[in-house]
Amino acid sequence: MNAALEEILDEFEEIEDRMEKFEFLHDLSNDLNQLPIEEWNDSTRINGCQSEAHVKVWIESGLVQFRGGADASIVAGLMGIISIAVHEQTVEFVRSLQPEFLARTGLLNSLTPSRSNGFRNIFSRVKSIIGE
Amino acid sequence: MVVPRTDFPILNREIHGKKLVYLDNAATTQKPKVVIDAMNNYYENYNSNVHRAVHLMAGEATDSYESCRTTLKSWFNAQRAIFTSGTTEAINLAAHAWGKENLSSGDVVLMTEMEHHSDIVPWQLLADDLDIELRYIPVKDDFTLDLEAFDASLDGVKLVCIVHTSNVLGVRNPIEYVIERSHSIGAKVLIDAAQGVPHKQIDFQKLGADFMAMSAHKMMGPTGIGALLVTEEIFQSMRPFMGGGDMIQTVTLQGSTYQNNEHKFEAGTPKIAEAIGWKAAFDYMSNIDLDAEHARLVEIARWTSKQLEDLGAAIYGRYSEQDAAVVSFLFDNLHPEDLAHYLDAMGFAIRTGHHCAQPLLERLGVKGTARASFYLYNTMEEAGEFIEAVKYVLQKFG
Repeated sequence: MNAALEEILDEFEEIEDRMEKFEFLHDLSNDLNQLPIEEWNDSTRINGCQSEAHVKVWIESGLVQFRGGADASIVAGLMGIISIAVHEQTVEFVRSLQPEFLARTGLLNSLTPSRSNGFRNIFSRVKSIIGE
Repeated sequence: MVVPRTDFPILNREIHGKKLVYLDNAATTQKPKVVIDAMNNYYENYNSNVHRAVHLMAGEATDSYESCRTTLKSWFNAQRAIFTSGTTEAINLAAHAWGKENLSSGDVVLMTEMEHHSDIVPWQLLADDLDIELRYIPVKDDFTLDLEAFDASLDGVKLVCIVHTSNVLGVRNPIEYVIERSHSIGAKVLIDAAQGVPHKQIDFQKLGADFMAMSAHKMMGPTGIGALLVTEEIFQSMRPFMGGGDMIQTVTLQGSTYQNNEHKFEAGTPKIAEAIGWKAAFDYMSNIDLDAEHARLVEIARWTSKQLEDLGAAIYGRYSEQDAAVVSFLFDNLHPEDLAHYLDAMGFAIRTGHHCAQPLLERLGVKGTARASFYLYNTMEEAGEFIEAVKYVLQKFG
């Protein structure tokens, strides 16, 4: 796990109040490498999310590049965490990353893939693009 | 009289350290302790398969299981009550067991834009198999069905499928008119009553529909069980589509004969504990003045929708006396998913998304809504707390 992700997860663990967790997550959405709305299309859309969620992932010089955008603040924040986790990281590292790390944030009531859980779908998109 | 909150053990739990305010009743209702106890009692004291063995517990299980069917028939004044896993399976049963036997190429199935996916997709699948035509009654801007368009769409229609009460809008449809007009041209009518039966004791024969589908869990019963009510005429024109144990009279390697009763459509070991739990839910409901309670809940929904509107929300509903206490709403500057997460952090359970009615939401021009739905144990005080919580979240997103 990279140091920046480790630091973020530690911070989440220190926050006890759930509302404060969401506020911290809201702040993380500002750190997201934005995928401009003009670039949102069917190929960038994450299906199965309640919000409009789009990501673009590619590999440059052996490093994963991540951009994302969503109309819900919480989804954009989750993308911010994924961005910290995978952006500018090696393909090998991202391949080794498992989505369960999000459990440390205490943010989601369930990590099970479902309509109510965009995080898993976004993370799966990253993995499918770089090859599992 | 509001049913005692203490009758529902789950309402004592805390959500993220806060008191639970459960406003997701259109998705599923909470269960009174008598329902949970009835199911536990079956598993602890007389768990056995039904309809087969001669031993004492098998007899007790069979009697308890079938007593749910007796209650169902009595509660709804229905000739035939077939157990299913819920509304979805009930409509799929109608499509397979009746549709495949009685519809053919060129016939028309008429639905509404207001239907839940469970009353659209089974007919789309059937259309793939049978080359039948599907039509939809439009929804008007006032959230009601366009009955003029309905009248004009009846040519060639063999079956009309209509939701009793919308799970998104709470609007109760004029099903009596739809049934009368449909029958006048010889079409059958299927009612998706999933959101209707929790609020009203419906007389199936008096209503005059041919099919009525429902789920126990929307009316304080367990998940995993529901029913398809049908008239005797429809029952006799259905052919089993699921084969297996419990539905046969004889099986030889050359062929099989089937039961003459509802078991014919209930292949395999049935939902025994669930039926026993559902029976307990009916018994519990029988002590409640549903009409008075419904009026109270609609008043809460009306008040809540007005408060939300005053806060700037768009409201998708009308709250007339017969409608359900379902409040769908949307703020311009606050995504419903964000709202739902923040509300959850404060102990409020609401639903967001497309509510399994994507064609309706497309008609409304939105991708999803937030939805608060009220049931017997909810109070005006909770509605007030909900509004205060929404105000708090709105301030956060200022």
